[in-house]
Amino acid sequence: MSASRRAVPAAAVLLASALMLAACGSGGGGGGSDADGKVAGSITFQTWNLRANFKGYFDGLVKEFEQAHPGVTVRWLDRPAENYAEKLGADAAGGTLPDVVNVSPDLAYPLAKAGLLVDLDREKTSAAFKGEYTPEAWKGNELPGLGGTYAFPWYLNTGPLFYNKELFQRAGLDPGKPPKSYAELFDCADRISRQSDGRIATLASSPTIEDFGRYGVRLTDDDATAFTYNEPKGVELLTRYRELYRNGGLDPQALNSTPERAGQKFLEQKVAINPGSAHDLGTFKQNAPSLYRNLGITDAPNNTGKPNMYVMGLAVGQHSKHKAAAIAFAHFVTDRKNQEEFAHKVAVFPSTKGSLEDPYWTRDDGTDEGRVRVASAKMLKGAVNYTPVVMSDEMKTILKNEVAKALQGKKSPQQALDDAVAQSNKLLKQS
Amino acid sequence: MPVKSKVRTHRAVSPWLFLLPGLAIVAAFSLYPFLTTLGKAFTDARTLAPGRWTGLENFRDMLQDEQFWVALRNSALYVVLVVPFTVLLPLLLALLVQKQLPGVAFFRSAFYTPVVASVVVVALIWVWMLDDRGLVNGLLQLFGAGPVDFLGSSWLLLFSAMALTVWKGLGYYMVVYLAALANVPRELHEAAAVDGAGALRRFVSITVPAVRPTMVLVGALSSVAAFKVFSEVYLMAGPTGGPAGQDTTLVMLVQRTGTGLNGRTGYSSALSLVVFAVTLVLMLLVLRADRREERV
Repeated sequence: MSASRRAVPAAAVLLASALMLAACGSGGGGGGSDADGKVAGSITFQTWNLRANFKGYFDGLVKEFEQAHPGVTVRWLDRPAENYAEKLGADAAGGTLPDVVNVSPDLAYPLAKAGLLVDLDREKTSAAFKGEYTPEAWKGNELPGLGGTYAFPWYLNTGPLFYNKELFQRAGLDPGKPPKSYAELFDCADRISRQSDGRIATLASSPTIEDFGRYGVRLTDDDATAFTYNEPKGVELLTRYRELYRNGGLDPQALNSTPERAGQKFLEQKVAINPGSAHDLGTFKQNAPSLYRNLGITDAPNNTGKPNMYVMGLAVGQHSKHKAAAIAFAHFVTDRKNQEEFAHKVAVFPSTKGSLEDPYWTRDDGTDEGRVRVASAKMLKGAVNYTPVVMSDEMKTILKNEVAKALQGKKSPQQALDDAVAQSNKLLKQS
Repeated sequence: MPVKSKVRTHRAVSPWLFLLPGLAIVAAFSLYPFLTTLGKAFTDARTLAPGRWTGLENFRDMLQDEQFWVALRNSALYVVLVVPFTVLLPLLLALLVQKQLPGVAFFRSAFYTPVVASVVVVALIWVWMLDDRGLVNGLLQLFGAGPVDFLGSSWLLLFSAMALTVWKGLGYYMVVYLAALANVPRELHEAAAVDGAGALRRFVSITVPAVRPTMVLVGALSSVAAFKVFSEVYLMAGPTGGPAGQDTTLVMLVQRTGTGLNGRTGYSSALSLVVFAVTLVLMLLVLRADRREERV
């Protein structure tokens, strides 16, 4: 057989494979449906790591909605916490973004910018629900530069700060008076480090963008087109952290620590203070009873008077074939009744108007969980989401690495922040 | 159709039919992604935007990217420091467990266990062991040394990840060597022993030449794997790539820049092409060195 004849079947196989692949990749497209249309059709609903603990709740929710809307079927999907953004990215690129999808504002931003999410302010049916949510929560889902709101506010959270009273006491500090401002935090860390001969650090993580926000640093310009955290106040914070690191107030492994590792250090009582959530109480109770007995709970240090708030939302896909049903379902999941019911099951807070006035969130029932709940709910008033929605994971890594260089003394705090801002602004311009 | 012609047609088509499933898999999971990567490397594509042609812009950016040089240095160091160990240590291990002694099966299994263990689990165990209050520092302190900050120093972190890679790969390459050693004629050893050659001399003059093709294979496989290292460093140094990103490897940089909703898939594809090119060069170098040795 000649070479050319041998090549024919080979080429046919490759061509067939290529065609198969081309068919695989031809998802997406479609202009979506009318948001004012009939509430009917089959929709998909994607949550973020909630199936393991709340399967019963969501199954009930779907069933209730389907019964109320006989023409609608809802398929619930749940994705693990790890690589959630990657999964969303793959879905969005492949044109298979779910009709209703659980997002935080920083995840919603690139999707909305690519025209993949419904602007709830522009659609009459969704805009009509705006009054049901607290203004802060609705505003939390507004995206700078895009002029709209791209997700129904769902649950809110504001993490308390845990501290080890025993370690405070040993350093001669009053366990009843945890640090409230950054100045107090640095003084406290200095003392703990000196009293323990550098064996006990106070913090296990280097400062994040939220720390810069709580310190009162201006993070971006007004229209979020450039980062500004290299302003003098930002440099001041990093300079204080550098002293903290040199004096042993910051754990040596803080430069590349993850929240999990920092939590582990606190659990092992190697650090005195660590941020967390009400979820952690169970872990402390089970894995570190001696820590649990000496556990102090307070607010994160703050120089602005406005605590940090984490916002979760439910967005509707712009290309959904059943937009009306998707909007109705997203509203149903986030309405007052369902949000309150969900917030009773897990330590989160509803974003619907009037919900937080319920005694469940205002009266301390004497339990640790109740104390965290009431303290956190109180913090929500006036809270803001400090994480700029335009800040991607890569930009957060850049900040962490430049901060590490400043802490190690390889760069001055000013130089490190200037470099972080320059690199992040370059990425921001390219996006 | 005449029988002769039918047979000829069958002979031409049948092999391709057998190959079709395999070829389809290769096309879907290797060829297509490779071609897509090749196309994207010259664009400013992002996860949610196809991008436009930018020529060599990504490669120019790469040359000015401080992280790229750090990552290239670390990946290259990984090859230089890990490969000699993964070529030699498994051979010595294979020699140890080659003999049919009572209980040797236990040691063979024990040495192979890290290969089948999940890299995530193994890396977590190593992190616990190397922690400032972990097992290793505990032992060091027993002898009046330490504590050593294995996880806080970028160099120690990188060396620890290398040690993990070597330890985890020992069993796999040991099995490869065991197969090669089984083919070394026993008579050669016996004759050499009669002539007065000691164990070391027999190892250098008989064993090594006999398993040299396997050593080349192991060298090629382990150098490619070392250059593409990701899991061990990512799990031990964290997603930032160690303190100040100083432990980032090239594949970690590909992952960091190319994933997520804001992923710079164009730039990440260009980085992937560099990884591919270096890997190809490494393979060619190893094969060339082997050929030269053969000629000598």
